[in-house]
Amino acid sequence: MIQFFNVGKRYPGGQHALRELSFEIPRGQFVFLTGPSGAGKTTLLKLIFREEVPSEGQIVVNGRNVSSVPPGKIPFLRRTIGVVFQNFRLIPRKTVFENVSFLPRILGADTATQKRLAHEALDRVGLGHRLGAFPLELSGGEQQRVAIARALINEPEILIADEPTGNLDPELSKEILRIFEEIHHRGTTLLIATHDRETIQRIGGRVLTLEAGTLSGDQLLPSPRDLRSEADTDLITSTESDLATEGEPL
Amino acid sequence: MSLWQALAYFFREALVSLGRSWKVSSVAILTIAVSLFVGGVLLLLSTNLATVVGQWRSQAKVLVYLTPEVSQDFLDGLRKQIEAEPWVTECQYVAPEDARERFRQSFPSLSGMVEDWQEEPLPASFEISLDPTELTATALEEWLSRLREEPQVEMVDDDRDWLSQLSAIVALIKGIGITLGAVLLGAAIFTIASVIRLTAYLYQDEITIMRVVGATEFFIRGPFYVEGFLQGLIGGSLALAGLHLGHAVLLARTEASIWGGVLLESFLSPQHQLALIVVGGLSGLGGAILSLRRETLVPAAEGT
Ligand SMILES: Nc1ncnc2c1ncn2[C@@H]1O[C@H](COP(=O)(O)OP(=O)(O)OP(=O)(O)O)[C@@H](O)[C@H]1O
Ligand SMILES: [Mg+2]
Repeated sequence: MIQFFNVGKRYPGGQHALRELSFEIPRGQFVFLTGPSGAGKTTLLKLIFREEVPSEGQIVVNGRNVSSVPPGKIPFLRRTIGVVFQNFRLIPRKTVFENVSFLPRILGADTATQKRLAHEALDRVGLGHRLGAFPLELSGGEQQRVAIARALINEPEILIADEPTGNLDPELSKEILRIFEEIHHRGTTLLIATHDRETIQRIGGRVLTLEAGTLSGDQLLPSPRDLRSEADTDLITSTESDLATEGEPL
Repeated sequence: MSLWQALAYFFREALVSLGRSWKVSSVAILTIAVSLFVGGVLLLLSTNLATVVGQWRSQAKVLVYLTPEVSQDFLDGLRKQIEAEPWVTECQYVAPEDARERFRQSFPSLSGMVEDWQEEPLPASFEISLDPTELTATALEEWLSRLREEPQVEMVDDDRDWLSQLSAIVALIKGIGITLGAVLLGAAIFTIASVIRLTAYLYQDEITIMRVVGATEFFIRGPFYVEGFLQGLIGGSLALAGLHLGHAVLLARTEASIWGGVLLESFLSPQHQLALIVVGGLSGLGGAILSLRRETLVPAAEGT
């Protein structure tokens, strides 16, 4: 559960990156966040796991007011949120295995458990064979998948991903989104920032649109899979034409 | 996670990190090693010098020369009085004929001189050995002047005079050594701090990432502290190895000369050796703590 109440964010010396944002994401929802470059998508995501603090308003995540979490408790908030960063943010001096298993390791898991969890997470993104590599020895797409594996490893309540398919070819993108759908079905709340209209239409779900720091759209797209099961009602074509005429940028 | 598990984690991380960034680490390690080596040299020299001077002091004697017409009564009384003092370990009477015999043995070429004299040329004397630990400089001075006032005492000779000057010099050298050592160690800690701060800047992104994925400060900083500590221990051990080597080589070369023998007589005591390594470890840890102070690590957004 993520709630924003009149949230504004102003970077030091800058314009407002976000203003007057209010919305609520219930537990277990699959949400896309879209909007042009510079609209404030990354900023919004950073507010949720308190990498940035809002200049105005309140943010509540899983019932906790994020701005008033005492500094010592911030790590515990963050452990409940898996994050795939736009620029991956892998630790260059650590191997793929060490990066992915970092959280279980500092939480005291034994080596065997760390290995098993890392294997599972990396197998899901198709990188089970690169455990010993260093991030800089990987391609952009591979680094992105390592970042995804790291976000998944702790089975977080909320998964946040910033352009998680930005560096992947269409096949891999589909695979990653399939993984996201799978963990969504396990009850995880997902918030995914992306420019990729095609992906959004293929998956469906809720779409929040940001423009210049304000919320300019909040739609619920039907999932094509649901549509397919109701093919005889001709919903697909009508929905797609609805979308096309709606005029909201995706 | 228990504290032991956490420590094990810190050590593992620190060792891996030392191995992977050994170039940066070796700067810190060498800094500590050089400072401790110089400190160790000073410690070695001053300890040896102090030992030797201490030995000389304890062997030093007070000589009480008596007038030729000294009476047996007086001799017995004086000996009793001298032996009653708690710091006197031995009091030996040297009769004039014994003195002549000694003179002849010590200076064979001059022996003819004493041979010719009819009367005993050398006065009788008491040779007094002292336990220096029982005696302060003022107490000694007081005692000597009391002896000088005795009627049948010709002269009191004390070769401890120049030795106390020597021990003042030793104290000075020790003082300089300690000061210089402290200054060097301060410089070492400062350098280590800079090196680790550099490392921390280098790894600022790494630290931010760990923070963002939910690591507590304890787990972020622990490995850095342990790494600093290990660097210090390695530096201290290198310094000790260097001292050992230097000592052995110099000792072999200067065995013949008095000063070489005096200054290099013994190596540092086991306690001093241990202290050298521990000081290394602690200064490495100090450097790490200094360089990871809160304000250098926490990004602006967290400060609020
Ligand atoms: N650390 C920062 N300091 C100052 N201004 C920033 C900072 N980060 C972002 N901004 C500004 O805030 C605005 C929103 O940036 P943000 O990164 O949230 O956009 P975005 O929607 O994620 O863009 P993109 O699609 O290109 O990733 C931009 O105008 C950007 O210049
Ligand atoms: Mg962005």
